[in-house]
Amino acid sequence: MKLSSVDFYLDWPVSIELKNLREFIISNLEKKGNVIRWSIVDIKNPIDSFGTKKLKIKAVLAN
Amino acid sequence: MEISPTIFIVPTGIGCEIGGFAGDALPTAKLLASASGCLITHPNVMNGGSLSEKNQNIFYVEGYSLDRFAKGEIALKRVKEQKIGIIFDSGIENEILVRHLQVADACVSTLGINVHSYVVTKKPLNIVIESDLSKISSGIIGNPNALIDAGKCLIEKGVTAIAIVAKFPNDSDSKETNIYREGKGVDPIAGVEAVISHLISKFLKVPCAHAPALDPIELNEKLDPRAAAEEIGYTFLPSVLIGLSNAPDIVELPNINELISLHPNQIESIVVPNGALGGEAVLAGIEKGLNIISVRNQNALKVTNEFYDYPNLFEVNNYLEAAGIILAIKKGINLNSIKRPLKKIQKCPNND
Repeated sequence: MKLSSVDFYLDWPVSIELKNLREFIISNLEKKGNVIRWSIVDIKNPIDSFGTKKLKIKAVLAN
Repeated sequence: MEISPTIFIVPTGIGCEIGGFAGDALPTAKLLASASGCLITHPNVMNGGSLSEKNQNIFYVEGYSLDRFAKGEIALKRVKEQKIGIIFDSGIENEILVRHLQVADACVSTLGINVHSYVVTKKPLNIVIESDLSKISSGIIGNPNALIDAGKCLIEKGVTAIAIVAKFPNDSDSKETNIYREGKGVDPIAGVEAVISHLISKFLKVPCAHAPALDPIELNEKLDPRAAAEEIGYTFLPSVLIGLSNAPDIVELPNINELISLHPNQIESIVVPNGALGGEAVLAGIEKGLNIISVRNQNALKVTNEFYDYPNLFEVNNYLEAAGIILAIKKGINLNSIKRPLKKIQKCPNND
C-alpha cells in the first residue's frame, strides 16, 4: 500500500442537493483510491450560469 | 440523566485559534460536556502533551471513527478500562524510546492505566510532512503497511486500544515550528498525525491515538501559553494513554449482541469552527438534519454556510454561546423565545 496526498477539484452541480453532497464527493474520490482522510477546504461560488460551484478537496488516498 | 449528545470537532492542522495548539480546547470540551451531558470528541481536542483529563461525560474517539459514528456506521460502548498497546516507529532513537517506555511505566504505576505491551515496527514509518501554501498541515507516511502490521501484532496479543508513537523529522528550528510555538501558525505535524491514527482506525477498528516522538527542543521565551503543554517533559505520550485508558469500544452496526452506550441516532448537535464545515462528520450531520453550531474560531478555512444555506445552523461568537444553545436544546427551550424581537405565532391557511 502506498499513500498519496492530493488536491482534488470537483464541480458541484445544482442537481446534487446538499444532503447528497458527501456521497457525491466520496463516489468521486473512490475512483482515485482508498480514502483515508478528506475534507472540503475551499468552495468557489457559481462558476457558470447553471449555478455550479467548484469544490477544492484535500485528501489522502491509499493505492 | 437528561442529555443532549453532541459531537465537538476542532479539525486538526487548520490553525484554529482555540484548539489548534496543545490540548487548548480541553477546557471548552469540559464546558460543552457539562452543558450537553454527553460529548463525543477526538484526541486533537483532549491531548495536551503531558496534560489531559478524564471526564465521565466525554467519549474520546479518534477522528476517522468519529466520522464513522456521525455517519451511523458504528456505535460506542463504554468500558471500565482498555488494554493498551503501543506501536513505536523503529525510526525512533534508543534514548527517546527509553523515555517513552518510562512514561508508559509511569502511567501504570501512578495513574493505574492498563498499558499491556509494545511493539516496534519492522521498518521505519518514514513520515513526510508537506508544506502547503494554503496553510493547512498535511503529509503522508512512507511505510503504512509496517504500521498496520505492528497493530495487528498487538491485537493478536489481546490489546484493545492502540497508542502510536512515530518519529518525526527534526525540524525544531524550522520557521513553521517557531511560528506555531509562538501562537501564530498551524501545527506543522498535525495533519500527518491524523493520517497515522486514521490508518489504524480504518484497518484495525480499535480506539487509537498518536503521539509524535521529537527531539528535545530549545527553550523559547516567546512561547504561547496555548502551546506550553508540549514543553513539559520529553514525550507527548501521557495524554494519549490517559485518553485511551477508558476510550469507548467501537461497535460495528447493525449489532444486536453488544450492549451499546451511545447510538449515532442519539446525536442532536455538532459543534464545529466557523469555516470548517467541509468535513465528513458535518456533512453527515447535515444529511440527518442535526443542529450544526458553527462557532467563530479563527482558522485557515472559509467553508461557511454561505455556500450551503443549511437551515439548522446556528452561528455563534464563542463557545460560551454554543454551550447556551446546547443547554436550550437539552431542555427543550425554543431558541426563538430567548431572542428579541419575538414574532407572533403564524396562522396556517386551512383550505379544503
